[in-house]
Amino acid sequence: MRPEDRERIQLEVTSRVLERHMARSASGPDYLETLINDTIYNERRRLERDPPKGDEASFYAGLAKRLPKASQVELKHMLEEMLRRFVAEVVGNFDERVYRLSTSVVPTGLSLLLKASSAAGPRDLLSLDGISVVRDHIELQGEVDHVKRLLGKGTLMVVPTHSSHLDSIVLGYAAHLMELPPLLYGAGLNLFTNPLISFFMNNLGAYRVDRKKTASIYKEVLKEYATVAMEMGYHNLFFPGGTRSRSGAVESKLKKGLLGTAVTAYINNLKHERMRPNVYIVPCTISYDLVLEAETLIDDYLKEVGKSRYIIEDDEFSKPRRILNFMSEIASLDGRIAVTFGRPLDIVGNFVDQEGRSLDPRGRVVDTKSYVLKNGVPEHDHQRDQEYTQEIADAVVKGLRENNVVMSTNIVAYTLMRMLKLKNPGMDLYRLLRTGGSTPSFPHGDVVRETAATIELVKAAEQPRLADEVRSATALAAVDDALRHFKSYHTHPVAERRGDRVFHEDRNLLLYYANRLSGYDLELRGARRSSGEPQASREVQSPGAQQSSGEPR
Amino acid sequence: MSETLRVGVIGAGSWGTTLAKISAENGHPTLLWARREEQAARIAEERCNAEYLPNIELPLNLETTADLQRIAEFSDLLVLVVPSHGLREIARQLGEFVDGSQCLVHATKGLEQATHRRMSEVIREETCLRKIGVIAGPNLARELAQCGPAGTLVASHYDEVFRKGHAAFGNHYFRVYWGHDVVGAEVGGAFKNVVALAAGVLSGLGFGENSRSLLMTRGLSEMARLGTAMGGSLVTFGGMAGIGDLIATCSSSLSRNFQVGSRLAAGETLPQIQAEMKMVAEGVKTSLAVREFATQHHIDLPIAGAIHRLLHEGGSVPELLADLMAIPTGPEFAELTR
Repeated sequence: MRPEDRERIQLEVTSRVLERHMARSASGPDYLETLINDTIYNERRRLERDPPKGDEASFYAGLAKRLPKASQVELKHMLEEMLRRFVAEVVGNFDERVYRLSTSVVPTGLSLLLKASSAAGPRDLLSLDGISVVRDHIELQGEVDHVKRLLGKGTLMVVPTHSSHLDSIVLGYAAHLMELPPLLYGAGLNLFTNPLISFFMNNLGAYRVDRKKTASIYKEVLKEYATVAMEMGYHNLFFPGGTRSRSGAVESKLKKGLLGTAVTAYINNLKHERMRPNVYIVPCTISYDLVLEAETLIDDYLKEVGKSRYIIEDDEFSKPRRILNFMSEIASLDGRIAVTFGRPLDIVGNFVDQEGRSLDPRGRVVDTKSYVLKNGVPEHDHQRDQEYTQEIADAVVKGLRENNVVMSTNIVAYTLMRMLKLKNPGMDLYRLLRTGGSTPSFPHGDVVRETAATIELVKAAEQPRLADEVRSATALAAVDDALRHFKSYHTHPVAERRGDRVFHEDRNLLLYYANRLSGYDLELRGARRSSGEPQASREVQSPGAQQSSGEPR
Repeated sequence: MSETLRVGVIGAGSWGTTLAKISAENGHPTLLWARREEQAARIAEERCNAEYLPNIELPLNLETTADLQRIAEFSDLLVLVVPSHGLREIARQLGEFVDGSQCLVHATKGLEQATHRRMSEVIREETCLRKIGVIAGPNLARELAQCGPAGTLVASHYDEVFRKGHAAFGNHYFRVYWGHDVVGAEVGGAFKNVVALAAGVLSGLGFGENSRSLLMTRGLSEMARLGTAMGGSLVTFGGMAGIGDLIATCSSSLSRNFQVGSRLAAGETLPQIQAEMKMVAEGVKTSLAVREFATQHHIDLPIAGAIHRLLHEGGSVPELLADLMAIPTGPEFAELTR
C-alpha cells in the first residue's frame, strides 16, 4: 500500500467505525460504556491465554480503570484509542520500497525460502531453484484474459479455494504472471510470525488478521479496512471459506462478512461518484497433486467433525523440512499447481462481460447501478445488501465448483475409496478408515478399470474439471501418476503398488484427496451405474476402454 | 400505507384482474397487461373483464395494455399472474425491459413440468431481477373481487418486496402477512391443487366432511414432506400458503381443480373437461412435476401418486378411492419427524 494511502486509510477506517458507534450511542446512555467494556473484557481474556505484546496489558488495564468514571466525551476518546490501536496493527508496517518491488520479489522469495530450508535439508537439493519451481509448475487456466481486461474497469475481489498456506504465495505469483498489482490480503497473524512465510506476507500486500481477537469492533475494523482499501482501488484477495478446507472438499459454505464488503464498497463508490465504481468478484480454484498440510488437515477433520480447530499452528507449514520436501516433490515429479479463474461476477452474482458490464442470465446487459437504487439514488440497505451478499456467495460456490480442477491423485483416491466402500458394504466410514475393511489391496487391473470409470463419470457430469494430464492420458497413466505422487511426499505412502496389487495404506489421506470430488452427486450417478451392474461392467470393460488403458503414451 | 406505487399486473385472468382491482382501489396507479390487444382494449372500455371476472366493476385508475415493454417500464412492483406453462416465455420477454431496481411478485401456483423448477427460479433464470417474491394464500378470486374478507402471504428474501406487496394489496378486507420462506409458499401453492383434485373426486362421489378432512390432513402432510425436501420450512405449511390455501381450495366448488375432480367423479374424462374449461387447472400438470420430483428424490407421496395414476396412467375413479384407502397407516407424523 502506498504510504499516503496508508495514512488515509487509517484515518478513514477509524473515523467510519467511530462515527457509526457514536450514531448508535444515541440509542441509550449505556451504549458506549457497554461496547468499551465488552472490548476490554474480550482483550483481557485473550491476554490471559496469550502472552501480551508490548504495552497491551497496561493499555487495557488503564482503560478499565478509567471506564467507571468516564463521561460521554471521555468514552468517545477511549473508543477512539482502541480503534486506533486495532487499525494500526491491521495495517502493519509496509515498506514502500518493498511494495513497489513486490511483484518481482515473489519468485526470488521462493528461492530464498528454499535456500533457507535447504540449510536443514539434503545438500543435493541446494541446486533447486524456487523460480523455476513456481514458474514451471503453475498452470493458469480459465478466465485469465477476462480478469486482466477488467483491471482498468474496477476493483477485483479474488476469492479462491483454500487448502494450503502456500495458496497465497501461489496466487501472489499467479498475479505476477498476469501482471496484476499485488493483491491486498488479510493473513492470519501466525503467518507473520512464521520466519519462512513472513517474508511473503509482508510483500504480498498482506494485512494482519489476529483470529484470537474476538472483540466485535476488531472484526468491524477488519471489514472496514477491506472496504476502504477496495474503494481506494486496491484489488483484494481473501479466502471465502475463512480457513483451509479441512476435509479436502471445495468450499460450499462461505463466510459472508468479507464478501459483503464488495456491495458496501460499490455503493460507497457510487455515492462518492468515483471514476471506476465497479467491484468484480472472481472465483478462483487452486489445485495441487499433493497438499502440503494434508495430513494435519484431515486429522483435524476426522478428530471431531464440526469441532475442527480454527487455527492450527503446528502443522507441516511450520516445519521447514516439510516445505522443502514438498517443493522438491513438485520439482521432481512434474507436479502441477492449477490456478483456474472462473467468470467474474458483479455485486449481485451476475456474470460480467469483457467490458465489465453486468449480464442477465440470457446475456443481456444490465445496469449494475439499478440494483442499489433507492428512490433513484444509490443507497445502502442492510437487509437487501445481505441478500445480495448471499447471491454472490451462491454464485461463487457455483463458480468454485465448476472450476475445480481434479488431479490424478484426486481421481485415484476417489476410485479407491469407492472400491473400499463397495467391498465393505454397510461398514461405518470411520471403521473403514481405521481398519481398511476386508482386504488390504485391490488388483492393479481393477483399479485401472475403476479409474477409467471414474474419469468417464466426471466427463459425463462435466464437473469438476479434469486436469489436462488426466484428460489426455489413459487411466493406466493416471493411476501410475497418482501412485508415484502418493508414495513420494507424505509420511506414509497414501497408496502403493506392490506386484500386481495396489495397497490402500493411509486411508485418511485417501479420503482427503477423494473429497475434492465430493458434492457433485458423482456418488449418486455411480450408484445408478452400479445398480444396473451388468451393463455398467460391460461399459467399463468395453474393448475401447481396455485398448485405451493399455495404450502406451 | 402512505407509499404510492406504480403496480403492473401481468396476466388478465380472474386472479390477475382481481389483484389489479385491489391495487387500484388502494390508490396505486395500476396497469393490467392482457396478452391480446383487443382483450386489453375491451377491459378498458367496459371497465370489466367480462371473460374472466364478469359483473365486477373495475376502478378508473386501472389502465390496461398489451405492451410488455410499457408495463415493465411503468412499474415499481410487477405482479406476474400467468399459467405456469407460459411463465418462462413471458418472463424471458419481460427480461428485455426490466432492471435491477424493480420488485416482482408472482401469483402462479405450479411447478415447471420439464424442470420441476419453482416459478421464482424460472423468473430468476430469465430476468436480471433479484427482488422476487410470491403471493399465495386462500384467495378465491371471485370472493376477493367482491371485497370479501381474506388473507394472504407475500414471501420473499427481500423485505422490500413484501413491504411493497403489503402496500399494494393490504387493506381493510385483505390481510397481507409476510415471510422469507419462498420455497414453502411456492410448494404449498402448487401442491394444494393436487389435493384439491382429489377433494373434488371425493365430493363428486358424495362423500362427506370426514372424508374431505382426512384427505386434506394427509394431503397437508405430503405437502410438508415435499416442501421441506425442496428446502422449505415446516412452519410455512401451517400458514396462509399451506393449510390456509388448502382449506379454501378443497372446500370451494369455485376452485377449478376441485371442479375437475368432481367432474371426473361424475364420469367425464379429463380431455373432455379440459376442452370445455376456459381456465387452467394447474393441479393436472403439477401432479406430473410432483411425481417426477418425488421419484427422483425418493419422497413418499401416496396421495399425489394416486392422483397421478388417475390423471396420467389411465386409472379410474374407483381405483383412486381404493388407492387412497390402501395407504398404510402408522405413527401420524412419522414422515415429518424422521
